Amino acid sequence: MNQSSSGIWRKSAGYSSLITFSILLIAWLAGFSSRLFAVIRFESIIHEFDPWFNYRSTAFMVQHGFYKFLNWFDERAWYPLGRIVGGTVYPGLMITSGTIHYILHSLNIPIHIRDICVFLAPVFSGLTSISTYLLTSELWSRGAGLFAASFIAIVPGYISRSVAGSYDNEGIAIFALQFTYFLWVRSIKTGSMFWSAATALSYFYMVSAWGGYVFIINLIPLHVFVLLIMGRYSQRLLTSYSTFYILGLLFSMQIPFVGFQPIRTSEHMAALGIFVLLLFIAILRHLQSVLSRSDFRKFYLFGGMFAALIVFLGVVFLTIFGVIAPWSGRFYSLWDTGYAKIHIPIIASVSEHQPTTWFSFFFDLHILVCTFPVGIWYCIKSVNDERIFVVLYAISAVYFAGVMVRLMLTLTPVVCILAGIAFSTLLEVFLKEDYSSRIVGKGGNIANTEIAEDNHVDKKNLYDKAGKIKFRPKHDAQLETHCGIGSNLKSVIILAILMILMMFAVHCTWVTSNAYSSPSIVLAFHNNQDGSRNILDDFREAYYWLSQNTPDSARIMSWWDYGYQIAGMANRTTLVDNNTWNNSHIALVGKAMSSTEEKSYEIMSSLDVDYVLIIFGGVIGYSGDDINKFLWMVRIAEGEHPKDIKESDYFTDRGEFRIDSEGAPTLLNCLMYKLSYYRFGELKLDYRGPAGYDRTRNAIIGNKDFELSYLEEAYTTEHWLVRIYRVKKPSEFNRPSLKLGERTLSPTNYIPRKNSKRRKGYIKGRPTVIKGKRNNSQ
Amino acid sequence: MNVLIRTMLLGLLVLGSFLVITMAQGKQKTGLSLSEKVRNLHDMNMKKALLRFNGQKFREYVKSAPRNYSMVVMLTALAPSRQCQICRHAHDEFTIVANSYRYSPTYSNKLFFAMVDFDEGSDVFQALRINTAPVFLHFPAKGKPKGPDTMDIHRVGFAAEAIAKFVHERTDVQIRIFRPPNYSGTVAMLTLVALVGGFLYIRRNNLEFLYNKQIWGAVALFFCFAMISGQMWNHIRGPPLVHKNKNGGVAYIHGSSQGQLVVETYIVMFLNAMIVLGMVLLTESGSQSDQKRARILAIVGLLLVVVFFSFLLSVFRSKAQGYPYSFLFK
Repeated sequence: MNQSSSGIWRKSAGYSSLITFSILLIAWLAGFSSRLFAVIRFESIIHEFDPWFNYRSTAFMVQHGFYKFLNWFDERAWYPLGRIVGGTVYPGLMITSGTIHYILHSLNIPIHIRDICVFLAPVFSGLTSISTYLLTSELWSRGAGLFAASFIAIVPGYISRSVAGSYDNEGIAIFALQFTYFLWVRSIKTGSMFWSAATALSYFYMVSAWGGYVFIINLIPLHVFVLLIMGRYSQRLLTSYSTFYILGLLFSMQIPFVGFQPIRTSEHMAALGIFVLLLFIAILRHLQSVLSRSDFRKFYLFGGMFAALIVFLGVVFLTIFGVIAPWSGRFYSLWDTGYAKIHIPIIASVSEHQPTTWFSFFFDLHILVCTFPVGIWYCIKSVNDERIFVVLYAISAVYFAGVMVRLMLTLTPVVCILAGIAFSTLLEVFLKEDYSSRIVGKGGNIANTEIAEDNHVDKKNLYDKAGKIKFRPKHDAQLETHCGIGSNLKSVIILAILMILMMFAVHCTWVTSNAYSSPSIVLAFHNNQDGSRNILDDFREAYYWLSQNTPDSARIMSWWDYGYQIAGMANRTTLVDNNTWNNSHIALVGKAMSSTEEKSYEIMSSLDVDYVLIIFGGVIGYSGDDINKFLWMVRIAEGEHPKDIKESDYFTDRGEFRIDSEGAPTLLNCLMYKLSYYRFGELKLDYRGPAGYDRTRNAIIGNKDFELSYLEEAYTTEHWLVRIYRVKKPSEFNRPSLKLGERTLSPTNYIPRKNSKRRKGYIKGRPTVIKGKRNNSQ
Repeated sequence: MNVLIRTMLLGLLVLGSFLVITMAQGKQKTGLSLSEKVRNLHDMNMKKALLRFNGQKFREYVKSAPRNYSMVVMLTALAPSRQCQICRHAHDEFTIVANSYRYSPTYSNKLFFAMVDFDEGSDVFQALRINTAPVFLHFPAKGKPKGPDTMDIHRVGFAAEAIAKFVHERTDVQIRIFRPPNYSGTVAMLTLVALVGGFLYIRRNNLEFLYNKQIWGAVALFFCFAMISGQMWNHIRGPPLVHKNKNGGVAYIHGSSQGQLVVETYIVMFLNAMIVLGMVLLTESGSQSDQKRARILAIVGLLLVVVFFSFLLSVFRSKAQGYPYSFLFK
């Protein structure tokens, strides 16, 4: 799809760079446009949850300036604790879009910051494909680079995080990741300080953008370590790693959120250890060159091992004595895969932290996932310093992607690189002979690319030590036999490969359009009868209602998923949000949701809650609603309050989670249930169906007729998707509730004598007092 | 958790169980006094942390009325003839809990752990109308066991931690589990290290195989295949090997995109490996000097890639509802 380029093949450098340029441009355009499904179908809107926070803080930064942003204390989040935003955020994303905004405005292009935020990720996908091209051409050849660039432009594994509107750290971080790796490979190859300083700068950008920078600061030391073990120590390695490490360390500590972590936490200790080891080996080498030992290799190997052991033990001891913080739970759960499930339910509750099925691999990468091992095979077969890097990158990334769906994102670039290498070497074989026998094959487009870069293969040989030897005999053999395989067979093979690649392009478009282009703020569903498309805009309806009808200081309790959206769209104070830094606070909200109305009223009044917002999908059959998430609330609450909340109470005796009349009584009376199904029992969705039929869970609700005493319904959106309740003040329900009959006194035999005569009131049986006479009846 | 055995005794013996209950109630009048019972239990506990009851003792210490202590009882079937694999594990875990409690500072006369084997006290099973094993029951100090006094092993499992949590919920006695340290992992690791080290030492003059790229390549590829076919998912979630569907047939492929079966992942692994092999053969065919050989390699490689890729695509298609594309065959 993207490889198409026009031009007559001619063996000249000018054409080859023109082709390269146009292919990269087309890849950029294709990548950009296939990310626009959401904008075209819906509108230019920020998606999902986290992007709303990023957008909100970007808007704040643009409005108030960078320093105000760094010192921003957001009192509207995590009430009553608040959140220091400047110190708890990776500011790279905001700075990037703020800079773009600033530049455009200084050029008098009045673009709204929201549009910059929406289109930032698609634009950066083009930069990603360019840096992938650079990295791959450093590793293998420019042809492979073009393949990789085209792959990464449209591969769903990357599109899933970078569609228009998905304004999140990953969108720019993958670019920074690839670019850092490119510069690193460059600096390893050249051994120049310039390139390694550039690596450190790019690493700085990555640190400012995404927490995944830990991947870089562990992968590069791993690379160095493996090179050392393989006996590939060189002066270039020493220069580039020590420059990179020192500068990178200093740079990374400039980010407020990272702070002193690079010298205090275990995640970063590998880099330090390798640095020390490398210096040790350098000194050893120097000594040996001075002492001129004969069997220096053995000595150096054992000495290196010894130094590694000492460094490792040192780190272990420092950790034991508490100087270095041990691995954080999130990081630890990557190694011990059962850890999060037992100890950190809040991590386990997020669906993107689940392990990955083979289905997801194929879904996100299609043919690339089947072919990237070929790239690994050839990288190992003709190994050199930088190919070791890409092999290590692939193996570590494929492990992480297997543990967590979310880390598919870090696997995708390397899969594109290696699959690019695989396809490039394959097509090189079958197209090169066309060239030697002067037949232009059917895959004309790719032929141009491939043949164009043939010239450069020769140039590349200067760098590679072992790499390109295999091209030589092949070339000679082809010239001798003239036609090795036969042009018909070759055409068939090329055709088949092109078919598969075309299926890849079609698959990518289909997946992007069907799976990854939903803003999840606006829902769309297709009517089965007439095929028309309906839009559910309940979320924004509810948030707009909140912003217009509640006091500015109103505090809104909801489950943490919706915290950022409430803050971003309704601009109201929330108790918990998607930055799940305080587990006990979340557990408190979970406890309030899963207790009875009275008990949760105590919690709610102690937290000053004014409104409660819940998501209810029973009317339209929306499965991501709060009742379906409810067990996680219970589990998280149970983790902190095991006395009050027990998960087993919410199951029936047979261990089922049911909302109908056989459901557990605790469930049927908890706040979340009541708020979800308040007055739902009166609603008939269908003329034939029974009242109170929940479409999401396909059951008639068990607790139908109840009144709320501590809350009152404030607003319910059109499709009941969002329901907002107001928490009553004590004065509203503390008065004894009297019925009308009890409040009014029924008239007794007393007849008022109010007639035309204006009389004063009189007392019944009043003793008449006569002046001058003593009332002495007794 | 579907390994629980069913003893199929219920149907016949419902009537008999009533008789046993009435007999038991008749007997308990002549039972031991409270202080005697506590003393006996305590003495027995001195010898063994987990008390082993038969039907008569069970009635005496658990069922009969004057009690000021809680009992946590496991009803199980340990005899090999019962073929209850899971009972053995449950028994081990329960013993760990009982031992941890016995030697903990919170040990008192308020809580005892006991077990009843089916072959020693089948009348207990009848009396309690239990026809599965193992079952964990809590008998509170006062009153009869209620619904939540039966531990739901389907949901929480029967790991020692889960049992301790159950005990804590029901009796407020906090038990910290002390597992006898398990050295098998360490031993295996050490053996492996020793083997590899010894191997390297024996071959120390001939370490060329370490520089064999084919081996390293094969290892790396195998790791990649294992990961991309979802072995990590299998490791964490533990899915069944195959599914039995309603008609009695065996399904090798999980029907939805959310899950997978173990056999399925092996199939996918094989398919991926074949595609990779095909690609490699295709590429290698270019560097062959022998023309015929090159041709064969190319044809075989092409067939491998195309056929197995279409096969993989059709497996994928069967899992993804509404996926429109297929190649060669559906």
